[in-house]
Amino acid sequence: MKDVTSVSVATKTAERTNWKAYFKRYWQLYLLLLLPMVYLVIFKYIPMKYVLIAFKKYSIVQKLGEMPWADNHGFQYFIQAFHNKDFLNALKNTVGLNLLDLVIGFPIPIIFALILNELNVKWFKKIVQTIAYMPHFLSWVIIYGLALQLFAPSTGFINMLISNLGGNSVPFLNDPNKWVGTYIFLGVWQSFGWNSIIYLAAIAGISPELYEAASVDGAGRFRKIWHITLPGIKSTIIVLLIMALGNILGSAFDRPFALQNHLVMQNAEVLSTFVYRNGIKGLQFSLTTAVGLFQSVVGVIFLLGANWLSRKLGERGIW
Amino acid sequence: MKKRLVAAVLACVMGLGMVACGDKDSGKKGGSSGSDELVDGKFKETKHITVEVYDRGVDGQSDPADNMYTDYIKKGMLDDYNVEVEFVTVPRWTETEEINNLLASGGAPDICMTYSYPTIQTYANMGGVLDMKPLLDENQDKLKNLNDWLGDTNLYWNLSDENGTLWAIEGKRANNRRINTFIRKDWLDKLNLEEPKTREEFHDCLVAFRDNADELLGKDAKKMVPFSLSYDVGWRAALLIESQMDPDITDKELYVNGFDDRKLTQKGTKEAVKILNEWYNDGLVWKDFALYAAGDTTEDDMLKAGYVGAFMHNWDYPFRNGEDSIQANLKRMVGDDAKFVAVDCFENSKGETLKYVDSTAGDRKIFFPSTNDEPLASLLYLDWISDPEHIKYLQIGDEGVTHKVLDDGAIEVIAAPQGSKEIMNSGNNIDYTITCNGLSLGDEDLTLLSLAHSYPGSDPADVEQAIDYAARNPKEDKNEKITEVAAENGMGEALRVKSEVAFDTAVVAKPSEFDKVWDNAIKDYLSSGGQAIIDERTQKFEAKYGSSTSVD
Repeated sequence: MKDVTSVSVATKTAERTNWKAYFKRYWQLYLLLLLPMVYLVIFKYIPMKYVLIAFKKYSIVQKLGEMPWADNHGFQYFIQAFHNKDFLNALKNTVGLNLLDLVIGFPIPIIFALILNELNVKWFKKIVQTIAYMPHFLSWVIIYGLALQLFAPSTGFINMLISNLGGNSVPFLNDPNKWVGTYIFLGVWQSFGWNSIIYLAAIAGISPELYEAASVDGAGRFRKIWHITLPGIKSTIIVLLIMALGNILGSAFDRPFALQNHLVMQNAEVLSTFVYRNGIKGLQFSLTTAVGLFQSVVGVIFLLGANWLSRKLGERGIW
Repeated sequence: MKKRLVAAVLACVMGLGMVACGDKDSGKKGGSSGSDELVDGKFKETKHITVEVYDRGVDGQSDPADNMYTDYIKKGMLDDYNVEVEFVTVPRWTETEEINNLLASGGAPDICMTYSYPTIQTYANMGGVLDMKPLLDENQDKLKNLNDWLGDTNLYWNLSDENGTLWAIEGKRANNRRINTFIRKDWLDKLNLEEPKTREEFHDCLVAFRDNADELLGKDAKKMVPFSLSYDVGWRAALLIESQMDPDITDKELYVNGFDDRKLTQKGTKEAVKILNEWYNDGLVWKDFALYAAGDTTEDDMLKAGYVGAFMHNWDYPFRNGEDSIQANLKRMVGDDAKFVAVDCFENSKGETLKYVDSTAGDRKIFFPSTNDEPLASLLYLDWISDPEHIKYLQIGDEGVTHKVLDDGAIEVIAAPQGSKEIMNSGNNIDYTITCNGLSLGDEDLTLLSLAHSYPGSDPADVEQAIDYAARNPKEDKNEKITEVAAENGMGEALRVKSEVAFDTAVVAKPSEFDKVWDNAIKDYLSSGGQAIIDERTQKFEAKYGSSTSVD
């Protein structure tokens, strides 16, 4: 008995001295870490208290603590949101567009990275890569400008081409269903090059010996892709998939906002533009904070769920 | 050693940052303490106020916060009242969003203006706006110019019947003309057509433009747009819409359905949109109209390049902006005879071409946010800016530089060179004369005489025709004031978009689906809060006027 106690005390002291010694040795590193930590606390954690606005009647002149609680135990605005058909429509569109983005937009950078990897002519590969990255640096406002030049019903280049060939102009931007296609296409076009970078990096990390061994065994190009490259980047793919799933209810603002117009509103209004219109322009801050909070909570649930699933399937996950 | 040094430096930098952050809060106090009284009409200590000014983003404009006219105002206010004025620019086309952000962050200018009363009401409900009633009462004797210019009507337009609060005063429209239809005169001449006098004739002109595109535009024939619209159909076809409404519409009906100022829910609007729908499906209307957002210049560029046959817009639209006006550009780019003229051709069921003209109130609303520490100095600013002499100077500038006096006494505005300090960023500098929208030279006859000459780059005869038509058969908007309709709070933006979506989708619908599209859109509008507003407006109107349908 005695022995055991003294041993455990001894380990504790040892741990403490270890920790102290460790800290003494590396305190500069911790000091350096302090700066980003302070940044996180000030700009990410302290503002979080304002999610309380979702449960309160917002007023610009009152302090957060002074604002009265909303009705229905503070949940008035959540109830209001779920009774608002515009919100439900925006929710539906957000999920729909994000799923389409995921299904179509997620595999394309992988395929692109695989193709690029197979190219042997270095200079050609470099040029293709650079060209594919470029759209990433364009703002959505500019992309919409380009889209108008290309797809507008009467003056767009593509439609002029079609009508010169004797066809009818296609309402790429002004028919609600065709608009979805244009939206997804432009999104993929803008981001596939950039998103392929991380896969290319992962591919570069695969040992060349594996390929050599496979060649010796008589594997062809596709065999090698299937049995070496893809398994080699599987964990990267899964991490990115988890992050994409965490974002299923999140929506960027500038892409839908820049691309939408009155004729396609039924398919184009998403949560971020709904929040902008009703919150910032319509001054319903509590309602839109509630919507934002709902979005984040669902996002976290998806993220945790996907992470849990990937660990279940024997992958690493993000944690 | 080196590592330690870096760490120490970083620590110091951080420490300093914190101290600086802390300081900011404690430093900004005690601004308004001290003497508020005037000595010989001047403040003893120099006061500082900030004033909102629109930035219209026009090519070749000067800095809206720093040019010859702001210098004039700044100097005047400093000399007369010992008040320093600083201008804060707000983009004109997103003014409501911008002012919202400024108010929400507590950084709004001391003197704000907006066209959106609901914005003011919402912030007033949250305690973010100063009540102007006691301010005006206390300082009545110091505000002679303001009282003379706005009068009780505009000053107390927004006075609440219920609790006597006054959140904003109304600027005055010196000119209540609203909208005109414009058509390419040179195209009419080429095709031997008269200026249209009825809707039928107008339609025939559009058809003629469409069918003769090759002759009118040559190799650009494909770019022909007989009639152009924007996403804001309710405004850009207002004369057509209003012509389909009941000529004897009651004040009550106008008010009850008046929340949507594009007359979406008035009787007759559907018929008007149906006509537009037919035009659209006949290839008479610009196909891409709904794709461009507010403030986009694509349509203006088409007008300037001469691809458009006709359009409706502000009564003086093609003449605005001097050498960069549509009219001046047409002349330069297409030919000397190319020009738009106003026509008056949308008759109602009585055969009259009725025009709903603006009331003198109902223009820009001026208010003081609660962050305004200098209400007296701000009021004195409004008084100063309402002085007829100051209005006159701001609107026409210096003789020989921005205007000349003609033989008959009329004042003709000369365009100042682009980018110079003398250039006016808004017509007659209405963005500075915030209590006065429209030319006002102190003398009514002189004003009217000069109005036609106030558009450099355009033929005064064409402007005169537009002046004449825009005010023919006027029906003044009574703009009935029942100050607060609770159902309207926060709904302005969502319903505005619904209204625009209704107009836009109905215009482009297939003819066979028009009824369905329109009815569904109206149903959506009403069930999203539109009906609640109509109901509350009806109830408030009846509470005030009983069974009468007139406000007189």
